[in-house]
Amino acid sequence: MHIVVIGCGRVGARLASLLSRSGHTVAVIDKNPAAFERLERSFGGTTHAGVGIDRKVLQEAGIDRADALATVTNGDNTNFVAASLAVEDFHVPRVVARIADPMRAEIYSRLGVTTISTTTWASARIHDLLVSPRLHNLLSVGSAGVQVYEVEVPPLLVGRNVADLTVPAEVLVVAITRSGRGFIPVQASAFQPHDRLVVAADAGSIAKLRGMLGLPD
Amino acid sequence: MRPLRVLIVGGGKLGRESARRLVAAGHQVTVVEKDPATAQAAASALSDHVTRGDGCDPRVLERAGIAQANVVAALTGDDEDNLVVAELARRVFGVEHVLARVNNPDNEWLFTRQRGVDLAFNPAGLVSSLLEQEVARDATG
Repeated sequence: MHIVVIGCGRVGARLASLLSRSGHTVAVIDKNPAAFERLERSFGGTTHAGVGIDRKVLQEAGIDRADALATVTNGDNTNFVAASLAVEDFHVPRVVARIADPMRAEIYSRLGVTTISTTTWASARIHDLLVSPRLHNLLSVGSAGVQVYEVEVPPLLVGRNVADLTVPAEVLVVAITRSGRGFIPVQASAFQPHDRLVVAADAGSIAKLRGMLGLPD
Repeated sequence: MRPLRVLIVGGGKLGRESARRLVAAGHQVTVVEKDPATAQAAASALSDHVTRGDGCDPRVLERAGIAQANVVAALTGDDEDNLVVAELARRVFGVEHVLARVNNPDNEWLFTRQRGVDLAFNPAGLVSSLLEQEVARDATG
């Protein structure tokens, strides 16, 4: 795919490098040419100095043939305007804007721009990590038929083993992270304090899983 | 003429002068300005018509009474800000008339009705077209 990234700060540079590494053609725009030094040395895309709402710069970056565009500058207004022109004027099929302010992110998404609020996302993630145990949804498989969660082992399961958290065809402990290292357990593996479990559950068995973990509904 | 409720975003020289004239003509005007010093200067000229805050923030616009405004004028020195104000005014708050200032002529193409702008004007462009007219008149006269 051809992807345009507007903003080459920490997020933009990392995103552009990741996309380039996974084989996409990437064009990065930033008003400050020195920002391109943040790109990894092997970055194979193009860099364009200029502002992300300048038609000439956008065309140079190949917006006319772009399959996707991300706008991740540190300015919410710039990101919103750039995203809305990518959608409305250049008909880029996939457009994502980073918006720091959660309320604006919500409003802009009602105006037709897909937004990521880094503030909302990071604070929710940190909240979840601080106040466990809670189910963190990692993955939805096959039209949400199976959900994969990460959860810290609750005190009531410490000392019990994986078999106690297994229901054939309904609930399966896929992996355990213990002291920073992940492994795939066997039925007889015993849970230790602070284990982080990756658990797959059938969509119809989530209440059962919550019950087994002693979590409120 | 019935008094209009006008919300001006941007309390610099242009915003202040526009507000002053509208108030003198009997209209209800509120100016929103985010820079504290500029807001202070605007407040001393316009007393109670100034709200300090970022006009691109929907909460600030609400506090400034955008829901009752007949006209919103986005007059900041930043084109992205003016576009965001216009889009919020039209599409979120349903304001009838939206005016926006274009600072960089290269951005003029962005100021469309689709983005909520009924009338876009570029002060630099206005001055230079006046000059052109003067020069043309001198040349023919």
